[in-house]
Amino acid sequence: MSWLSNGDDRESTLSVLPDIAENFTALYHSLWVQPHLPAEILEVCRLRLAQLHRSAVEWQRRDCAIPTAKSEHLARWDTHSDFSDAERACLAFTEVYAMDTQALTDELAAGVKGHFGDAGLVMLVEALGIFDGMTRLSLLWQLPADSIHPAVGEALR
Amino acid sequence: MTGSLRATNPNPSSGNMIRDSALGLVPETLDHYMGLNRKIWESGLLGPAAIEIARLRNARKVNCVFCKSVRYDIARADGLSEDKVAMIQDDFRDSALSQREKLILAFTDQFLNDPGGLTDALKAELLAQFSQTELVHLSMAVAHFSGFSRCAVSLGGMPDSLPVMEISLPS
Repeated sequence: MSWLSNGDDRESTLSVLPDIAENFTALYHSLWVQPHLPAEILEVCRLRLAQLHRSAVEWQRRDCAIPTAKSEHLARWDTHSDFSDAERACLAFTEVYAMDTQALTDELAAGVKGHFGDAGLVMLVEALGIFDGMTRLSLLWQLPADSIHPAVGEALR
Repeated sequence: MTGSLRATNPNPSSGNMIRDSALGLVPETLDHYMGLNRKIWESGLLGPAAIEIARLRNARKVNCVFCKSVRYDIARADGLSEDKVAMIQDDFRDSALSQREKLILAFTDQFLNDPGGLTDALKAELLAQFSQTELVHLSMAVAHFSGFSRCAVSLGGMPDSLPVMEISLPS
């Protein structure tokens, strides 16, 4: 139970507004099945945002399966061999987006477009907006994380 | 201008400013995005003037020139004047805004500045003035507006300024 609802997760908190919840769920689902950007890449970007916001709840969430090694090495995405050039382009964009959206450059955008075109870039910024917003709400709502395994604490450090 | 326009819709033909923007390149999400926007304005407990106060605070903090220039007609019809809009500044706590309006701004600032740092004092103030369901509604409005304005900034081509323009909810 959080401070502003009887729910203890995103879905139960949103359930008090069924119309908004239904539309949000449809939008969120559509992110994972669109053809412009692979769901696995969206998931590593979402998890990177969770790390940067230090959100245990969002770090523990899984919207798309990715190899465990990839999440374990996510903080070192820029040098670790688990990450492809396409993933690095999206993660580089994600990191600057998280720190200061105004600081995004044409070069960072071109890096994403080089792999996924204009539609891929639009898909990424739409998804980042939703991931960033829901990560902030998980923190603001003070949703409880599952018992925190030491590895989670390490990943968010 | 903040960088060049980084993505464009090659076939703008709907006459709808959002569908004709780069967002139209991803039709798989656009209808859901627009549907959520409409529900946030029309189906929650907070009225359009209250929602517009949160939207404009976010727009100013994220510095989305497009978002800052827009006024929703339904918010004006609900009583949001330009005099009130002028009070949506960093010193809003000393303004003539109502306590509820000030708390909408404080909540929006908390979301944007330090979502993990909500104090017990602000939590108590919020719960004294709003129902829990109203706060969930405000939460989703702020998250939606934040995502939308960051999307606009991320896609570049933002002018340095724009005149205030009144719009209706996009269909």
